Amino acid sequence: MKRWGMVIDLARCVGCYACTVACKEENGTAAGVWWAPVYEKEVGTYPTVKRMFLPTLCCHCKDAPCLKACPTGAITKREDGIVLIDEDTCCGTRACVAACPYGAITFVERAQGEFGKELTPHEKATMKMKSGVAQKCTFNVHRIDEANYEPACVQTCPTKCRIFGDLNDPESEVSTLIRNRNGQQPRAELGTDPSVWYLR
Amino acid sequence: MHHEAFAGSVRNPFTSGRWIMEPKPQNIWGKSHATWFTCMGVGAALFLNRVLFDLELGKVLGITVAEWLSLVVIGVGGLILIADLGKPLHFWKAYRNPLTSWISVGFIADIVFCVLAGLWAIPSLELGGVNALGWLPWAGNKPLGLLFQFLAGTACLIIIMYPGLVLASSGSIPLWNSALVPLQYLAFGFNSALGLAYLSARVGVGPIPSPVWLPVLVFLYGIGLLFLLLHLLESWYRHETGRFSVLRLIHGDVRNQFVFGALGLGVIVPLALIIASAFNSSSSLTLLAITGLVGVAGNWFSKLAIIRAGTYAPFL
Repeated sequence: MKRWGMVIDLARCVGCYACTVACKEENGTAAGVWWAPVYEKEVGTYPTVKRMFLPTLCCHCKDAPCLKACPTGAITKREDGIVLIDEDTCCGTRACVAACPYGAITFVERAQGEFGKELTPHEKATMKMKSGVAQKCTFNVHRIDEANYEPACVQTCPTKCRIFGDLNDPESEVSTLIRNRNGQQPRAELGTDPSVWYLR
Repeated sequence: MHHEAFAGSVRNPFTSGRWIMEPKPQNIWGKSHATWFTCMGVGAALFLNRVLFDLELGKVLGITVAEWLSLVVIGVGGLILIADLGKPLHFWKAYRNPLTSWISVGFIADIVFCVLAGLWAIPSLELGGVNALGWLPWAGNKPLGLLFQFLAGTACLIIIMYPGLVLASSGSIPLWNSALVPLQYLAFGFNSALGLAYLSARVGVGPIPSPVWLPVLVFLYGIGLLFLLLHLLESWYRHETGRFSVLRLIHGDVRNQFVFGALGLGVIVPLALIIASAFNSSSSLTLLAITGLVGVAGNWFSKLAIIRAGTYAPFL
């Protein structure tokens, strides 16, 4: 069985935010909702300080704390490891937001367009306007299921710092990179076993 | 990048403000959760005091004030939770994941308590001095009534603890991720409930509690303070972000709620009033009644401060 995962090569990221925008465009998230933000982080000590960019998304953890915390069972995990939120079942307790160590879940209290309640024609056509629910990255499950395409953030990255593949296949590019370059899971000490790995 | 424009309509502690990888104060839970948690603790402790120690707090319409209050307070707590949901009409779905979600466990316990405690109380109801429902098969100390009482009491034990367990199970926020949180909830729940017994006596509804309860009240405030201080110490030494949270509590943005609310109203003022009551027999009951009121306020602040000071650790 496949386990979809992603490797993010931090040495390659130039902080262009193309992944963030591609994700927003692909998923039609409301204003202020970002499923794939890129954070900045300063590393090193003076005088050898540098700024590092940290692309993120839902880690689709094997032992997902959001799934455990959700009282309604709105969060489920597919056999291929993708963790999804059913917005029709979500009752908006925000327990998943509290439980996620990666800030990957956003509670959309009141969905709006970029210019407030009035939507542009493009927003009307593409934007998901559900309010009172939790949302997060889906690994673009619709693209995977329909045509085995990579997620939009991976496809759009100009430096190829995001690599997507099957973590259960030892010969896949992601498994090879993790093995050869000593991949690191975020907050591994929590035991959530994220499907997103970072290379420094 | 910096995104503030829609901070009010969208909540994600990581993407609000500047996108910097640093400790992020949580912005998802606040006053309504503190109120919900306080209601659950006080209501459940009132009922447990009633069934375990016969602290009835007087009677209204044949039913003990402790039962009335516990039902009303837990009911109100539940309504506050429902009102705070993103989809309040979907609240009933919260029973679906009791194996891993403490909110789900708590939701079921709330329902079990309200139904069984309500049923258990109904046979005692007196309207116009007439006990019309005394014939019910669970009235008095009949086996079915005792079963209702036992199950409602067990549900109360869960109700008093589960809000703390909701926080304690959150590994993402080091300050919350501690067994000392539910223990504080236990101590603060019982000291508030016992304080209300003195308030009830002062307003002339219930009898004055036996002198035996005074050292118990002192012990409960003392143990509450001990758990609170141990919690701060544990957070300080266990995790860098826990230390950041403790600093926010002591002299950061949550200082007033913690120092004046949780420590002041929650422990120091009640203990001072109890000591003062020991030396002033004429106004002893009044001082203890004030302890009851102040203690509930401090209980609320203790929860609000810990919730507010919760901070996510940077994840890489």
